[in-house]
Amino acid sequence: MGGSLSDKSALVIGAGGLGGPAALALAAAGVGRLILVDEDAVESSNLNRQPLFGEADLGRRKAEAAGARISRIHPGVKVDARDARFAPDSAKDLVSAADVVVDASDNFATRFLANDTALSARRPLVHGGVLRYSAQFLTVMPGKTGCLRCLFEAPPAEGTVPTCAQAGVLGALAGFAGALMGAEALRLLAGERGAYAGRLVAFDGRSGRTRLVPLRVRAGCPVCSAVAGATQEGA
Amino acid sequence: MSGRLPASRIDLRQHACPVTWVKARIALGRIPEGAILEVLLRDGEPRENVPRSAAEDGHRVLRLEPAPEEGAGTWRAWLERGPAVEEGRWP
Amino acid sequence: MALNDAEVGRYARQLILPAWGEEAQERLRGARVRVAGGGLATVPAIYYLAAAGVGTIWIDDPDPVAPGDGAGWAFGPGEVGKPRGAASAVFAAAANGLVKADLFRPGSRPTAVLVCGATMDVSRAIAEEARLLQLAHVVADVDGQGGAATTVPIGAPCYACATRPGLGAAPTPEGAAAVGALAALELILLVAGISQEPRARRIEIFRGTPLTRPTARQPGCACNAGGPGVSGA
Repeated sequence: MGGSLSDKSALVIGAGGLGGPAALALAAAGVGRLILVDEDAVESSNLNRQPLFGEADLGRRKAEAAGARISRIHPGVKVDARDARFAPDSAKDLVSAADVVVDASDNFATRFLANDTALSARRPLVHGGVLRYSAQFLTVMPGKTGCLRCLFEAPPAEGTVPTCAQAGVLGALAGFAGALMGAEALRLLAGERGAYAGRLVAFDGRSGRTRLVPLRVRAGCPVCSAVAGATQEGA
Repeated sequence: MSGRLPASRIDLRQHACPVTWVKARIALGRIPEGAILEVLLRDGEPRENVPRSAAEDGHRVLRLEPAPEEGAGTWRAWLERGPAVEEGRWP
Repeated sequence: MALNDAEVGRYARQLILPAWGEEAQERLRGARVRVAGGGLATVPAIYYLAAAGVGTIWIDDPDPVAPGDGAGWAFGPGEVGKPRGAASAVFAAAANGLVKADLFRPGSRPTAVLVCGATMDVSRAIAEEARLLQLAHVVADVDGQGGAATTVPIGAPCYACATRPGLGAAPTPEGAAAVGALAALELILLVAGISQEPRARRIEIFRGTPLTRPTARQPGCACNAGGPGVSGA
């Protein structure tokens, strides 16, 4: 990817615990345009980990508050804040408008939609998540690395993976993860391969242990096969 | 079942999730291992969420039943405090 | 003192973490953390200390806001030139009205220190001061897009023993945010009593990947002499 950072656009899905630090990292580094998508309002229990919002923002729409905060601190960045769900009818346009996608969402439906859309649009995707004391990172390079569906053949069954609402989250760990996701997006925008490309990096904040799980394209992954097929035909 | 009675009782009907489970967890932390906490819950999400979270956190759900005498839509749960969590040290 | 309803609501998501009981949250509330050094990781670190419920945060920072300060988290063009410590305290208080965030005053008695030196020399001096006062501390070193967080419980190998040179790269805002948040996390776990052994450790972030190792005393270091402040050879 050539060109300077100020000519680039980044899409950040979710403006909360992960998306806030990721968006701030991109803005502070000087990305040209930041597209933020969040459908929620600011709630009290968000405030232990979401740096785009303070007590004065309680009840406010997150997209609007996030956009206002980033614009105040970084007036040189074009901020396009969407108060909407990242959903099938809008995903393709949002992803196509960006040079890199940061999936900072908190549910598997959105993660899989972001994955599939980024792959078909050939956009690199940084995926990250935090759960209790652990953080995980994965970067998908369409046509080059495996994707989220290579890792999970299907979304985990309802009720088997605790949602953020049920399981605990530690603010500082989300900040750590979100900042690293922003840094990874900046590496991708600079044309580098990315530290999490082709491998899941999992960090346990209590033990301090890091696991690296290589992620190869899974034969039979429907999304990766579609990308490979099109690449061969189209050249 | 032995004739044990709850050591403590908490009414969580005026709270919404996740505060319902948080308060139940704090109340469990204040009674000894093996003691019973009686919890009053609203039907719906609290009734599903609190006993399940308690079990995941290492406590036993001894009872879960409707308690209409306490009010419409009220449920009662008896939660037996599990082993104390191993704590770290001071700085 | 037990948690009140406002605290339970505010800290709900961390109060349901494994090993995080009411006592852990009360220890955070009772902590008085001095944040010093003027480095780029300071503002993100302060944010997460406040957000987690550290009861008192004293910011030791005499400098004015310069462009790029705060890792791009708090200060817009309108804040440049204003006293940075005071502006950071306002940001922390806005994050959590249940905590006290103020300027550090000489004579104050913190219970722990978060060291965010603008250079490693600055960090070394502040860390040594904390060690001699028998205060647990965590040091945030920013190095390019990464850096390291070094955790020093009371009596542990000191920061100077634990440190090794990094790339020597200019700090970036994304690196500062990652290391600041990580250092805050380490101090929160330490103060709350939730850290696992070995608590004395250094977590280095290189190419986006964390690597943790226990710290060890270097022979001949003053921290090796069996106690802080032992004078003589």
